[in-house]
Amino acid sequence: MNVAIWLIRREFWENRAIWMIPAAIGALMVLIALFGRVDLMSVSSVPVQAVGGGFLLAVGATFFAVMSIYSTWYLLDCLYADRKDRSILFWKSMPISDTTTVLSKLATALIAIPAVYFAAADVTTLIMAFIVSVRWSSSIDGALWHAELWLQLQVLWLYMIVTTALWYLPIAAYLLVVSAWARRAVMLWSLLPPLTLVLAERWFFDSHVILGAIGGRLLGYPAQAFRDDPGSSSWVTTVVGNDTITTPTSIWGFFNAGGFFSSAETWIGAAVGAALIVCAVQLRTRRTEI
Amino acid sequence: MSALIEARDLTKKYGAHVALDRANFSVEAGRIVGLIGPNGAGKTTALRAILGLTAYEGQLKVLGHEPFRERTALMHETCFIADVAVLPAWLRVDQAIDFVAGVHPRFRRDRAVSLLAKADITGERRMRELSKGMKTQVHLALTMAIDAKLLVLDEPTLGLDILARRAFYDALVNDYMDESRTILITTHQVEEVENLLTDVLFIDKGRIVLDSSLDDIATRYAAVAVAADNLDAARAEKPFHERPMLGKVVLYYEQPNLELLAALGEVHALSVADLFVAKLSGGAE
Repeated sequence: MNVAIWLIRREFWENRAIWMIPAAIGALMVLIALFGRVDLMSVSSVPVQAVGGGFLLAVGATFFAVMSIYSTWYLLDCLYADRKDRSILFWKSMPISDTTTVLSKLATALIAIPAVYFAAADVTTLIMAFIVSVRWSSSIDGALWHAELWLQLQVLWLYMIVTTALWYLPIAAYLLVVSAWARRAVMLWSLLPPLTLVLAERWFFDSHVILGAIGGRLLGYPAQAFRDDPGSSSWVTTVVGNDTITTPTSIWGFFNAGGFFSSAETWIGAAVGAALIVCAVQLRTRRTEI
Repeated sequence: MSALIEARDLTKKYGAHVALDRANFSVEAGRIVGLIGPNGAGKTTALRAILGLTAYEGQLKVLGHEPFRERTALMHETCFIADVAVLPAWLRVDQAIDFVAGVHPRFRRDRAVSLLAKADITGERRMRELSKGMKTQVHLALTMAIDAKLLVLDEPTLGLDILARRAFYDALVNDYMDESRTILITTHQVEEVENLLTDVLFIDKGRIVLDSSLDDIATRYAAVAVAADNLDAARAEKPFHERPMLGKVVLYYEQPNLELLAALGEVHALSVADLFVAKLSGGAE
């Protein structure tokens, strides 16, 4: 365990972008809060919850989107980079098994990096809420300093860290396999096998089972982890001028934890992910050259 | 006591190319062994096998472990420096120390710190800022601070200038070597390590062609420089190699009759480099 922590720490040393990118996003958002112009009249008539919630979600979603892109790149690069600069020969001179090494890189991508982004999003929203409260006095204080809203956001993040880690495990493990295997152009090599399979299937069988499986995995997460319809009691409708705005009163109803953790798709994906992790470890053991 | 490294029919094939061809050798504890061979002879492959970095055929035991299956256990007692450039460019010296201290139970931090202080290398420097020679010193300091039984060095001074090379070997001999340690070193600069070694293994085309201690070489082999008129008599003693030198011919003998040869010309000992050249070009004689 101690070794795994050192290995994750070393990933942070090597990939300073892990914390520099979220720090930069946070700084940018704080600047927008400081100097940006917002017409508060247009939002003042929307329910307080919706303004605060919308604001917090928008900040969180930005962090989450950037994180997804960065994590993908990180997974593709991490094992490949050790071979490219030949530092693998240094890492392998330490009494650390290849399994521990591969798992700690996976843990970096699926747990450590999301935790950093989570923390960055939290700090950013806190600072932004503070600035907004000061700039616009108390007019939207109630929307931002709302304990339940904050709590919901924390739970949402934690829920998403756990569920995305499990749901995207096969994708993450596949990227590690490519990273342990490719001699160059990891990005290209990550796309080529699935693309070939999809085209071959289409050519020979005129079907698209593989495309469906890959697409379902990439895009199917929201449908698995969340409900579209949390039940009518969770919605509140407000009339603003000529429009009606329907907003949720809380996010609790949207979680689909029971469905997610009992879904066969979740666990089939996890099993495929486990098999791919074994492949990545084998490749790490056998392949030290670029 | 049994050998620290024991290889039986060690074989490694890359497709049709045979890098190691049923190589047999053993290394005893407390020795400094040079694994010497021309480029492509299988030196690095042999080291990779010993260090558990590559799969192989045949039998191999290093400190009682099967290296490829038990690399993690083996690395508790074995260190290696693959070559100078493998410390990653982004790594800071103090991070390197922290990391090794964190993951290696036999690492002695104070020792690494004092070795680096001696080399005038400060903690906040990154590897990319250091010269090749300094990087090698960092790697050597990290390695020497690990209380390991076996140290493996693969062309450790490749690309270093003469000063850095000398500093490297001085540090190795003075600060590292003692009774309890064993060093296996590959190099193609034989002259440089010659007076450091206790044993040599010559490897050529994947096979071990000589496995001998330096003491044995001194007593077992001799060279005689003879003038043309004694050449036939000298050749009758069955030299295994000869080469012309300044109007004379130097003949190399294994288990020579020294009294007889002394009458024919000037007898002198064979250096490892001489023997290496003779053994490896000897096949064509």
